[in-house]
Amino acid sequence: MEEESGEELGLDRSTPKDFHFYHMDLYDSEDRLHLFPEENTRMRKVVQAEMANESRGAGDGKAQRDLQEEVDELVHLYGLEDDHELGDEFVDENIPRTGVSEYPPYMMKRRDPAREQRDWRLSGEAAEAEDLGFGGWGSAGQCQDLREAYRYTHGRASEEYECYVIPEEEDEEEAADVFCVTCKTPIRAFQKVFDEHKEHEVIPLNEALESAKDEIHKNMYKLEKQIIEMENFANHLEEVFITVEENFGKQEQNFESHYNEILETLAQKYEEKIQALGEKKKEKLEALYGQLVSCGENLDTCKELMETIEEMCHEEKVDFIKVISVSFYTNRLGKFLKTKTDVEISAQPEFEDQTLDFSDVEQLMGSINTIPAPSAPVINPQVPNSATGSSIRVCWSLYSDDTVESYQLSYQPVQDSSPGKDQAAPSPPIIKTEEIRSCEEAVLICWESGNLNPVDSYTVELTQAESPEASGVTESVVGIPTCESVVQLQPGRSYIIYVRALNMGGPSVRSEPATVHTIGSYFRLNKDTCHPWLTISEDGLTVVRSERRTPARELSPSDTHFTRCVAVMGNLIPVRGHHYWEVEVDEHLDYTVGVAFADVPKQEDLGANCLSWCMRHTFASSRHKYEFLHNRTTPDIRITVPPKKIGILLDYEHSKLSFFNVDLSQHLYTFSCQLHEFVHPCFSLEKPGCLKVHNGISMPKHVTFY
Amino acid sequence: HEIYPLNKCLSGQESVELNCKMKFAVYLPPKAETGKCPALYWLSGLTCTEQNFISKSGYHQSASEHGLVVIAPDTSPRGCNIKGEDESWDFGTGAGFYVDATEDPWKTNYRMYSYVTEELPQLINANFPVDPQRMSIFGHSMGGHGALICALKNPGKYKSVSAFAPICNPVLCPWGKKAFSGYLGTDQSKWKAYDATHLVKSYPGSQLDILIDQGKDDQFLLDGQLLPDNFIAACTEKKIPVVFRLQEGYDHSYYFIATFITDHIRHHAKYLNA
Repeated sequence: MEEESGEELGLDRSTPKDFHFYHMDLYDSEDRLHLFPEENTRMRKVVQAEMANESRGAGDGKAQRDLQEEVDELVHLYGLEDDHELGDEFVDENIPRTGVSEYPPYMMKRRDPAREQRDWRLSGEAAEAEDLGFGGWGSAGQCQDLREAYRYTHGRASEEYECYVIPEEEDEEEAADVFCVTCKTPIRAFQKVFDEHKEHEVIPLNEALESAKDEIHKNMYKLEKQIIEMENFANHLEEVFITVEENFGKQEQNFESHYNEILETLAQKYEEKIQALGEKKKEKLEALYGQLVSCGENLDTCKELMETIEEMCHEEKVDFIKVISVSFYTNRLGKFLKTKTDVEISAQPEFEDQTLDFSDVEQLMGSINTIPAPSAPVINPQVPNSATGSSIRVCWSLYSDDTVESYQLSYQPVQDSSPGKDQAAPSPPIIKTEEIRSCEEAVLICWESGNLNPVDSYTVELTQAESPEASGVTESVVGIPTCESVVQLQPGRSYIIYVRALNMGGPSVRSEPATVHTIGSYFRLNKDTCHPWLTISEDGLTVVRSERRTPARELSPSDTHFTRCVAVMGNLIPVRGHHYWEVEVDEHLDYTVGVAFADVPKQEDLGANCLSWCMRHTFASSRHKYEFLHNRTTPDIRITVPPKKIGILLDYEHSKLSFFNVDLSQHLYTFSCQLHEFVHPCFSLEKPGCLKVHNGISMPKHVTFY
Repeated sequence: HEIYPLNKCLSGQESVELNCKMKFAVYLPPKAETGKCPALYWLSGLTCTEQNFISKSGYHQSASEHGLVVIAPDTSPRGCNIKGEDESWDFGTGAGFYVDATEDPWKTNYRMYSYVTEELPQLINANFPVDPQRMSIFGHSMGGHGALICALKNPGKYKSVSAFAPICNPVLCPWGKKAFSGYLGTDQSKWKAYDATHLVKSYPGSQLDILIDQGKDDQFLLDGQLLPDNFIAACTEKKIPVVFRLQEGYDHSYYFIATFITDHIRHHAKYLNA
């Protein structure tokens, strides 16, 4: 047995002495070099660190080049060429001192030009001190800030430094103390006396410094301003960009709908005309045919008579005379010759020219260029404290679909009587409680107006039901133009909801309340979608298919309710996120449960198209068959214990639809589905029986794994 | 101190059951650094070693996400110098069939059933940050058979079980007949004790939720070695919950395992992390 220390494993417990590690040749080749796996990780870490350093170094070099180019560009852009000192010195100083990644690319490094200008006139110490005072650049008091910086670092009284930029110590060294303007170089005072600078203009160093500083400040200020301008401009451009997209969208939509209308009208006209022509043709042909037939009959009769006559001519003279003079003339021949033959053609071959009336199409085409008038804005109710004796603040909301150029506000004084006397406040609306749909994050409420006269807007008010003593906060949603609203809520709470109607006379009293629980997703089965053989319970959660004794007759197709598949859909709230519900079934029942888009074809079976996904159970010859159908295809899956309660999880976020056996916490199957629009739960019964929906329940833990 | 997640191959542990040195692989997720994790045992199929699973199946991300320790033992004792152990690939070395042999010359070393259900878990529990109360088992082919019988013979020991293309009814297929007659002799009643389809018929225990994936184009399925229909029928009869998925276009290989391993790990995590 080999002995090995426990440290190798690095575990809390000591390893039995007979463990040892061996290399795994199935890993990457780099591991081959190392005998023990944990050494691997250490080595790898070291290597990685080194590589990171290198890459940073390389990055700096690249950044250096980039920065140079940018600087040149900026110099150009900002018209700083004349200050070429600025541009040149820029490049050299920047790179080692400042971290490349700290500044966004287009920002100039404000510090550096100033510092650069100073460096060759001041000592390094002074230059550092300046760095500290840099916070205040861009404002008018730049020089002031600079002096303050010196005060700060050198801790001396401000008066001492009002005029001096160089600290005292500097005077002892052999530093320049005057400035030759002509040569643009600092020199020592005595140098003025010498040849070079004899004729030159010389000013005290301080002055030179000051003027240089001023120049710098001005330039920096200019740059600052320009930066701000460009930033603002960039933001503005972005906004415009977005608006262009939006406007395009509106235009496109508008045009498309108009255009389609025109196309439909044209198509319709075509059909009508063709049909009319067809009928005309039929008429003519029938008339001609009729004539042809009677013509033929006529011919036949003529021929017959001819034959008769001929026969008679061959008989004895006496009989001949007898016959033709008596019966023949009086009867057939006479009658026949008397009847007028109609040889007028009854139908003309030509079709009359019909001018088509295209005036409605012309009108549509004309209207395609018109901009729809915007909808009326809704004036918000008057807010307290928004009026004085002579003024008032009016706010209104706008429909986002409209393009508005301007608003016109007009007013008229109401008679002396206080508002409300002229017009009565509206009656309260009536919430349609049986149509409430909710999920963990929102509720969709709709209501009846409750008023014969038009109402300006509605307000939804909600309070949380758990805190009645506090009679908590009432949230209001104002300015609702229609009789329905989706309101965002917090999960796991109960809310009481009221609705009020508003008009010029003020708000109505609160409607009767409705209660909403934001646990799970709550929906009811939609009677409008129900196949005629199904009945839905009062609470909208149970669907029954009864035994039929009379034979079924073909149902005419419908867009709203199922006509072939004996199915019904639920009204799920149109909110993304996830939704979970359960269906109670009978083991021996043939059923289908799943989801479908609202416009799923109602004369097809669920799962037979790509607008529905569902689980189908068929029980035949004592065998349970399970299919997971979409577009008529199903995977091959066998389930040994038939579920009595099926859990269904709809996850918009991950585009998945999952089915579970609730009693066993067993996962059955998951579809991946493209949900570009909202879907609704769907249920069908292939045999008589019933399905019971349980919803408004939170997801069991086992479902959360999916 | 080591940095998790960690994949180790360990060897040199002298097994009492198998009377030889046994190797096994262990995967420790990041979560194991701070606390005990549930353990998931993987049993490999014919001709595999303890390395195939850790390198080819791609389970690491899923195991890491759910915080599971994964252990993969070898498929048979090795180097025992038994005559005939290397003669065929479906019997002897690499083909332990997870039974406790009763026949000579196999009975001294070929006790994989006891090794997997007793000795290995004790070893793991003593040396690694695992929770001894939370254990599940799964496997492929012969290992699928192993997982199913370990779970069915030990009600309540494993929280969940699943399998890829398992040998469901060895007493009726050529592989099983060859192995069982060699390891267990001719008495077929002894064979049934290691046959999942038979064990289900008398399974008394608590709910098991079994997930099985089977490739539709698996040659061994077509050759009648796997016989899942028999197992499904028995489970339907005894109301043992199974979801059996026949996967179009897949065969018996590790590619098949790698494609669906995430579903299996999630299946186990649901019970191990409940």
